[in-house]
Amino acid sequence: MPDKPQDPAALPSSRWSRRTFLKGVGVAAVSAETMLAESTKAVEPSPPGADALNTPIEGPVKVTLNVNDQARAVTVEPRTTLLSALRDRLDPPITGAKLVCNEATCGGCTVLLDGKPVFGCSVLACDAVGKKVTTVEGLGTPDKMNAVQKAFVEKDAMMCGFCTPGFVTTISALLAKNPNPTEEQVREACRGNFCRCGTYPHVFAAAQAAAQANRK
Amino acid sequence: MAKKTVKVPKIVDGVPVGEVEIQVDDNGGPSWGANDKHRLLNKPMIRVDGAAKATGTAIYTQDVRPKGMLFGRFLASPRAHAKVTKLDLEPAKKLAGVKAVLAVVNVGGEVRFEGEPVVAVAATTPEVAEDATRAIVVEFQDLPHVVKGAEALQPNAPQVVARPPRIQKQGDAEQTAKALESCDAVIEAQYTSPMLHHCCLETHSITADFNGKDTATVYASTQGTFTIPGDSARELGLPQNKVTSIVQNMGGGFGSKFGIGIAGQWACRLAKEVGAPVKMALTRREEFLAAGNGPGSIQKFKAGASKDGKLVAVMATQYALPGIGNSNLAGQPYQYKAEHTYREAQAVHTNEDASVAMRAPGHPQASFAMESLMDELAYKIGMDPVEFRKKNVQDAAWHRQLDRGAKEIGWENRNKTPGEGKGNLRRGMGCGIGAWGGGGNAQCQVDVTIGKDGSVIAAVGSQDLGTGTRTYIRAIVAEELGLEMNDVVEHIGSSKLGNANASGGSTTAASLSPAVKDAAYNARVEMAKRVAPLLGAQADGVVFDQGRVMGNGKSLPWKQACAALPEAGLTAHGKWQPNLSSSGVHGASFAEVEVDIETGHVRVVKMCHVQDCGLPLNRTALHSQINGGMIQSMGMALYEGRVMDSDLGVMVNPGLGDYKIPGTLEIPEMIPIIDDGDDRQAVIGMAEGANVPGVGAVCNAVYNACGVRVRDLPITPDKILSGIIAMQKRMT
Amino acid sequence: MNSFQWANAATVEDAVKLLKPTDPKADVDQQPMPMGGGQDLLTSLKAYIVKPPRVVNLKTIQGMDKIEADGKGGLKLGALVVLSTLEEHPEVRAKYPGLAEAAFSIATPQIRNLGTVGGNLCQRPRCWYFRLENYNCRKKGGDECFAKGGENKYNAIFGGGKSNYVHPSDLAPMLIALDATVTIAGPDGKRTMPLGEFFILPATNVRRENVLKEGEIVTEIQIPAAPSPRSTYLKFKERDSLDFAMSAVAAAIDLAPDKTVRQARLVLGGVGTIPWRVPAAEAFLVGKKLSDEVNSQAAKIALDGAKPMEQNEYKIPLTQALVRRALAKLNA
Repeated sequence: MPDKPQDPAALPSSRWSRRTFLKGVGVAAVSAETMLAESTKAVEPSPPGADALNTPIEGPVKVTLNVNDQARAVTVEPRTTLLSALRDRLDPPITGAKLVCNEATCGGCTVLLDGKPVFGCSVLACDAVGKKVTTVEGLGTPDKMNAVQKAFVEKDAMMCGFCTPGFVTTISALLAKNPNPTEEQVREACRGNFCRCGTYPHVFAAAQAAAQANRK
Repeated sequence: MAKKTVKVPKIVDGVPVGEVEIQVDDNGGPSWGANDKHRLLNKPMIRVDGAAKATGTAIYTQDVRPKGMLFGRFLASPRAHAKVTKLDLEPAKKLAGVKAVLAVVNVGGEVRFEGEPVVAVAATTPEVAEDATRAIVVEFQDLPHVVKGAEALQPNAPQVVARPPRIQKQGDAEQTAKALESCDAVIEAQYTSPMLHHCCLETHSITADFNGKDTATVYASTQGTFTIPGDSARELGLPQNKVTSIVQNMGGGFGSKFGIGIAGQWACRLAKEVGAPVKMALTRREEFLAAGNGPGSIQKFKAGASKDGKLVAVMATQYALPGIGNSNLAGQPYQYKAEHTYREAQAVHTNEDASVAMRAPGHPQASFAMESLMDELAYKIGMDPVEFRKKNVQDAAWHRQLDRGAKEIGWENRNKTPGEGKGNLRRGMGCGIGAWGGGGNAQCQVDVTIGKDGSVIAAVGSQDLGTGTRTYIRAIVAEELGLEMNDVVEHIGSSKLGNANASGGSTTAASLSPAVKDAAYNARVEMAKRVAPLLGAQADGVVFDQGRVMGNGKSLPWKQACAALPEAGLTAHGKWQPNLSSSGVHGASFAEVEVDIETGHVRVVKMCHVQDCGLPLNRTALHSQINGGMIQSMGMALYEGRVMDSDLGVMVNPGLGDYKIPGTLEIPEMIPIIDDGDDRQAVIGMAEGANVPGVGAVCNAVYNACGVRVRDLPITPDKILSGIIAMQKRMT
Repeated sequence: MNSFQWANAATVEDAVKLLKPTDPKADVDQQPMPMGGGQDLLTSLKAYIVKPPRVVNLKTIQGMDKIEADGKGGLKLGALVVLSTLEEHPEVRAKYPGLAEAAFSIATPQIRNLGTVGGNLCQRPRCWYFRLENYNCRKKGGDECFAKGGENKYNAIFGGGKSNYVHPSDLAPMLIALDATVTIAGPDGKRTMPLGEFFILPATNVRRENVLKEGEIVTEIQIPAAPSPRSTYLKFKERDSLDFAMSAVAAAIDLAPDKTVRQARLVLGGVGTIPWRVPAAEAFLVGKKLSDEVNSQAAKIALDGAKPMEQNEYKIPLTQALVRRALAKLNA
């Protein structure tokens, strides 16, 4: 099997014993310039689509995402994440989910994929085709907030607010599955959501308050 | 200024029913009055921008995408210290979608830390921008580097900065040394803490909306709206009055976001180069490597106390580790008084990005070391650590706060002998104290406009970092005009509005709230003049309450009264009034932890922090801030720290997976307490005060629980286990 | 991430075809790669430690996401079973509680909603140096293991040498303790082997963590009927909310009615370059009744031969404590 080390780009040797070499830089041929703007109405993907079977696709590809119950056409590359498609490519963009760690750690980009919380930074847009994507905007609006959003406001479960969409989305999904969670279950459900301002105690209180409001 | 009590009609459903007494300003200027007599302030409040944040409609800098915007990216140095020997930008320029490639460091130039930008690119998509940074051919010639403080202190360590070290000396070394000889107990110890990271969830980001014409709008994730236009204009080649900065929401700063920074500088330069809007949002890795940090520290002590609990002599050597930047630690013996002190302090430089302000700059480090030392001394003389502290601080606030915190945490239940108890899980408690300034300054210029239709706008360019600025602006104006929160709208976060100070040093509340109060007061006085004739009252006899304007036994609904205004309504200006703010806050933290002595795992069970702040503007937001302070101090004590590889000169944990901030399972039961024993009728900022003493409190609790004193942060399980094994060896 | 092709596989055979190296001379980390949940692959792609010309989506293969009875009291897990399904599955929880615990211990709910059993077994190491894009450690084809003499607090105390990463999987130690087998499909058809033989030491091939060759994928895990439901997975994390194991113990035992150990399987996680089975400790336990004394001795034996690096000696007492606790728990 091909298992031979790459030739490292030579650099001046140094006195540091463990110092070694930079990996060679350089990128393979890059796809053609992509279009950013797309209409918001549904369009038929031109074949082969991102969901075609056994047909490798490459370069810019037009896909239709189902976001917050709307069909949204967008051009992506195979490597474009769902988060980037929502924020950087959809026009107008959907920016409730935030890019924070970009390594499946912090939960700032949490969206629901067929109702389950996932990291938007760690799903490829092509892989979300045919699935139902729900962002925090799809859960409620300032005039018509869902119970979790209302409770976040009432309990001051936010400071800078950058983690808030992720927490709201995760907890909304939790309550849909478990309407009566203990605080421990709330903490477990939000294990993948990080806040730096330190608003956690109010988040836990908001989750409980939302559960209670839902029960009424 | 004093308040006076006046009787006004009590209105129920718009109908006067008897009279009530209310407090209004005595003539002669605004004053807050007694802290417990407010209608809206000093009460729990709902954050006015809460709904926008909870529904994802609050727009942050990273959410802004002007038409035709390009995505900026850096090629960041992979080397700690090197000369650029080759730089070929052409392969990047040739990529489809790449619009600009600008060298940040040219051939022959040096990079002085890993992550330092070498090239900036702008492209039509983030993916292509990333391709461009990797298509660039760059070669380096390595130069000597040092990336750890302890190694930088060695003789013959590579010199990182050209300037010679400046050593500050304070106190009398000889007398202190002599006093140490007479002490009943002496502790000699070294405490260290690693470089820390702000971990703003929104990385340093700027979108320069510029199309090559004569104006630009710069959206910035910043702590200072007005720190943006000057430098942006310079980079864009525009006069400052053609550049507007916008800061509607921002995702965390903690001291790291002033000015345009490297993100803004290169967003502007790229935008200027292309004549199109450019967003430069640092990647998370760049945020760790090149967006500032909190300095590490090495602090050495020899300190002594008398048997009766007097801190007699403290000798301290403090090294701040600010990378290539400058930084000071708060001076030892921090908040304590010792009869004799001698302190030497200096910065020790490494090939790491320059430290910047980080929530109470230099204080958590100093507090951690001093509180640990105080604890060690207290145990050595056999005195209750709370009593020992009280004997060595004079301020009554700390005595009050220590007593209150001790009660909340259940201090009497702590281990009398550290580590005592049976089983694997050992509980312990610790405490610490801290201080901060939080005073105001005269930069804010606020306008309050009352429309002929009764609508009210409070306008100032200031920014809300999540501290609740918007909310208290509304509350102050509403309270002054006898209105409700929803009757007022605040306009903030734009350099087109009145000037405001940057939010650093917890100075925003103390600077802004007096100016808002002043503007609202002036609006009320002016409004009273207009409405007095309608009521047949004297202007100074007009009272604003319950949505009505009253005087001479008559009352008008607010809107009806406003109809008397001219078409343009009424605008009143306000500026900072020294009597409305003060300076100097105190805090005390307590922690209870549980240590698993077989695994070294620490669980913080409960934390309590008591904080004063003069007049609390919004009790809910204050609780949020105090909780945040406790959590950040707990993070510093137990989890956080930059880890460098000596030989490679690079940070090995530059991500939120490996640089560990506390998550949901780390959060203890939290008790935030506003110290209402503080009767100053003035606003003082407190956010930074709240994250200082918790570090020492947690460290001391770990010692009390398991008998292992870890003097090197963070206190991770490996360090506790090593300590326990060493202790067991000593005992056998 | 580098630019790559995207291909949805309709069947296992299609996946194998799509995974055929486009350039057989290319580096092992620049070959077409399969993607299940993608939770590890995407982090590796973003760090440029893998640069596949093509990513083959396996989730479009029907029927590989099922947990089914094998008719002999055991279970078959499709490689595409997601971790949240595994942790909640009633039969898994009843028969193999340790496996549900291991699944629950992984990462975060968001990751467990997408991450798959196959992906968890095939994830790449988290060694700090391996994840540094610009430094070519031996595991990436370079000529040094930077962890040696470097920052090696989290690195291996077993099975190191050429490279000193720890295997990051939580399912692997538990499945090995449950005597699981794995089925692999590739250009030459299917083969099934004990899961313990699936993982390989750096001494065997420093570039790979398992026996998979180009074009091969994991399709199924088989767990035989457990003689008893006495299994557990104890994972120690530095940060409980989210962390890889600093150390972990997977234990499965069978006790006679008088509580004498009939069979014991102990596998350590977070300490070795592969899931580290400790046969000597297992053998020691057989025929004995578990007690504090016996558990302590087993724990000592389990850590025999550990070779700590400069900063990770603590893993020995830590792992010993976990072994003692796992045994005490299973004896209850």
